[in-house]
Amino acid sequence: MKPNERTASRGDLEEDVVSGVVAEVCVLNEQGLHARPAAKLAQEAQKFVADIQLVSGDAQADCKSILDILTLAAAQGCGLELRATGADAQEAVEHLTEFFKRRFGEKR
Amino acid sequence: MVQTILHGIPVSAGISIGKVYFMHRAGMHVVSHEPVHPDRLGYELERLDMAFDRARQELKDALDKVPPELKEHASLIDSHLMILADPKLQGSARRILEEQCIEAEWALDQAVERIADVFAAIEDPYIRERIQDVRAVSERVMNHLALLDRDNGAAALAAKPLSNRVVLMANDLTPADTIEIEVEKIMSLATEQGGKTSHTGILARSLQIPAVVGVSGLCETVKDGDLVIVDGLNGKVIVNPEEAVLGTYGDLKYQFEKYHQTINQACQLPAETTDGFRIMVYANIELAEEVTAALDHGGEGIGLYRTEYAFMHRRQLPTEEELYEEYKDLASICAPRRVVFRTLDVGGDKIVGVEPTDEANPAMGLRAIRFCLRHEELFKRQIRAILRAALHGNAALMFPMISGLRELNQAKFILAKAQRELEAEGVPYAKDMPIGMMVELPSAVVIAEMLAPEVDFFSIGTNDLIQYSLGIDRTNRYVSYLYQPLHPAVVRSIKHVVDAGHREGIEVNVCGELASDPYCVPILMGMQVDGLSIAPQAIPGIKRIIRQATLEECKDLLRDVLAANTVSKINRQVKETVFKRFPEEVMFFSSLLDLDEG
Repeated sequence: MKPNERTASRGDLEEDVVSGVVAEVCVLNEQGLHARPAAKLAQEAQKFVADIQLVSGDAQADCKSILDILTLAAAQGCGLELRATGADAQEAVEHLTEFFKRRFGEKR
Repeated sequence: MVQTILHGIPVSAGISIGKVYFMHRAGMHVVSHEPVHPDRLGYELERLDMAFDRARQELKDALDKVPPELKEHASLIDSHLMILADPKLQGSARRILEEQCIEAEWALDQAVERIADVFAAIEDPYIRERIQDVRAVSERVMNHLALLDRDNGAAALAAKPLSNRVVLMANDLTPADTIEIEVEKIMSLATEQGGKTSHTGILARSLQIPAVVGVSGLCETVKDGDLVIVDGLNGKVIVNPEEAVLGTYGDLKYQFEKYHQTINQACQLPAETTDGFRIMVYANIELAEEVTAALDHGGEGIGLYRTEYAFMHRRQLPTEEELYEEYKDLASICAPRRVVFRTLDVGGDKIVGVEPTDEANPAMGLRAIRFCLRHEELFKRQIRAILRAALHGNAALMFPMISGLRELNQAKFILAKAQRELEAEGVPYAKDMPIGMMVELPSAVVIAEMLAPEVDFFSIGTNDLIQYSLGIDRTNRYVSYLYQPLHPAVVRSIKHVVDAGHREGIEVNVCGELASDPYCVPILMGMQVDGLSIAPQAIPGIKRIIRQATLEECKDLLRDVLAANTVSKINRQVKETVFKRFPEEVMFFSSLLDLDEG
C-alpha cells in the first residue's frame, strides 16, 4: 500500500508548503520515540536536503534534530504528521514513512 | 546606578566589598556575562564551531577505540555524537551568540538551558532525563572552549581578568565546581540556589570567607563587574551600594576583622568557664593536611578523623601499609593530643573496586558499619592500620552508625580478630587503644545505657541524628525547613545519651554542626558534655563563648529549654539568652537555627 500522502497544493492556505509533501505516520515500536529510535530517525532524516518537520497536535519538531524529536515524547500508537519541503521532499517522506512502518528497525 | 538589596541565607560569617564575577551555571567554567565587542563576534563564532568540531573528533576517536564487546558504551557515544550534530544545540548557540553578541560559553550555556526548559516539561521521566546527555555533551564542548581560550592566549584572557580578588557568584555551586575555583582570588560567595547546609557554606567556612546562599533574583539583578557588598552576617547582597551604606559596612567589616583577631589570639587558651568547668574542643578533619589548621586554631586534638578519602578518588584500594603510613603521620603530628579515627562511613558506591549495590534508599542502606561488616577483609585492613598507628601517638577508634548491641559486638569481634592476627604475626600495635562509637541513630539513643558499658566513649553525631530522628533529608528543599537542630526530641535525645554515658563513667563528646553553633553550645555545656568536635575554623569563637560563660547559667538555660515544648519557644528562649550574653558571637557567627520565625 502506498503511504497516505498527498502533494500539498491546496491553494492559498498552505502557501508555505507549496512544494511540500505531507504524510500521516504512526509510532509502532513498543518504546515509542525514545532515545535510540529518535536517534535513528534523525539520522535517516539527515540523509535528505529537504526541511522535514514532525507534527504532533500543536507541537512541531525538526525531524533532523534528535533533541527536537525527543521533546515530542511520542509513545507507541501515537499518530504524527510528516511535512517535508525542498528538493527531495517526496523521496524523504516516502523513505521516512517506510522507516516508521519498520518500527525504526527496532525488534518490538 | 540604583542601590538594590537582595536577601538570602547567611552561611558563612563576614563582610566583603568588591566586584562581582559570575561563574558558569554548571560550574567548572567561568563564564563572562559581559557583551563582547562586535569585532570579536566572528572570533567567538569560530571558537564555538571549533570547540564543537574538536568535541566531535574526540568522540569519534573514542568510538574507534571501543572494543566490539562493549557495544553498549558505543551507543552512548553515538547518541552524544548525534547531539553534537544537532541543529538545536550548535545552531541555537550560534544564533544566540550572534543575537546577543556574547562569548561562546555563555551562548552555549543559554542554548542548553533553553533545551532544558523544554525537556523539563516532558512527562516521560526517561526522556526527561536525556537532558543529562545534553549537559554532558555541552560540558565536553565547554572544556574545548576553555582549552581554545588557553591556546589563543592573550586576546581571550584580556576579556576575563581575574587578577584582583572578586566576589564569586553563581546560580549554584556543587562540590565538583569548587575544585576548579582559584580560591585565593575569591573574597566571598553568593549563590541564587542553596540552603543553610549547602556545599557553598561548607566551602566558604573552610576558606573563612563570607557567603550568602538562596539569594533570589541574584542572577537576574547582578552583572559582572558590579560593586557589591556581601553581608554574610545578615544574609544580604547589596548591589551598587550608596555612599552611606558603604561607610556603615566598612565599619562593620573592620569590627568583624578585629573581633576575629581577638579570638584568634586567645584560641590556644583552654576552654574553661569562669566557674571552672573544663570542656575539650577538638577538630573534625577529612584530610591529614588539615591537622595544621586544626592545631593552629586551638584544637586540642582531632575528635573526628573522617577516613573515607583514602578509599575514594583513586583506582585501587589502599594497602594496609599505605593506610598505616597515613595514620601514623597524623597520630605522631598530633601527639600527645588525641586523634579519633572513625572507621569507614560511606556506602559501596563511593569505594573503588567494590561491586555497587542497587539500592532504592542508600541513606538507610548498606553503608558505614553495615558495609564494613559485609566487607570484613577491607574493614580489618583499616582496623589493623589504626591499631598499628596508635603506637605512635594518642589514637582512638570509633565505629559509625551503630544501631544496636549486636552490631557493636560484631564490629568489636573483627577488632579482636585483627588484634589476634597482629599478635600472631608479631607486628607491634597499641593494646590499650580506646574504642568508641558514634551515636547517630535514634535506636542507639534509646538504648544508650545498654551500649555505654561496651565502649570507652560516645560521640554524638548530631547531623545524622537530627535527620534520622526527624525523618528529614536536609538537602531536600521541600522539607529542609523541618531540619530543626533544637527540636525538643533532639535536645532530649542528646541529654539522654550524655546522662547514660556519664552514669557508666564514659566520656561523651558531640560532633556535628550543632557543636559549633553559638546558640547551641551553651545548651550542650549545660548537659556537661566532655568535648565538642567541630570544624577547625569554628574553634576560636566557640572557645571564647565557653571561656566567657558560667556552667551555672548554661544549666539554667538547659532547664528552660527542656521545659519548652515547641521549637519556636526553644529558639526564642535561646535567642534571648545567648544574644544578651554573647552579642559579638551572635553578630559575627552564622547559626543553623531558623531564628526569624516567631
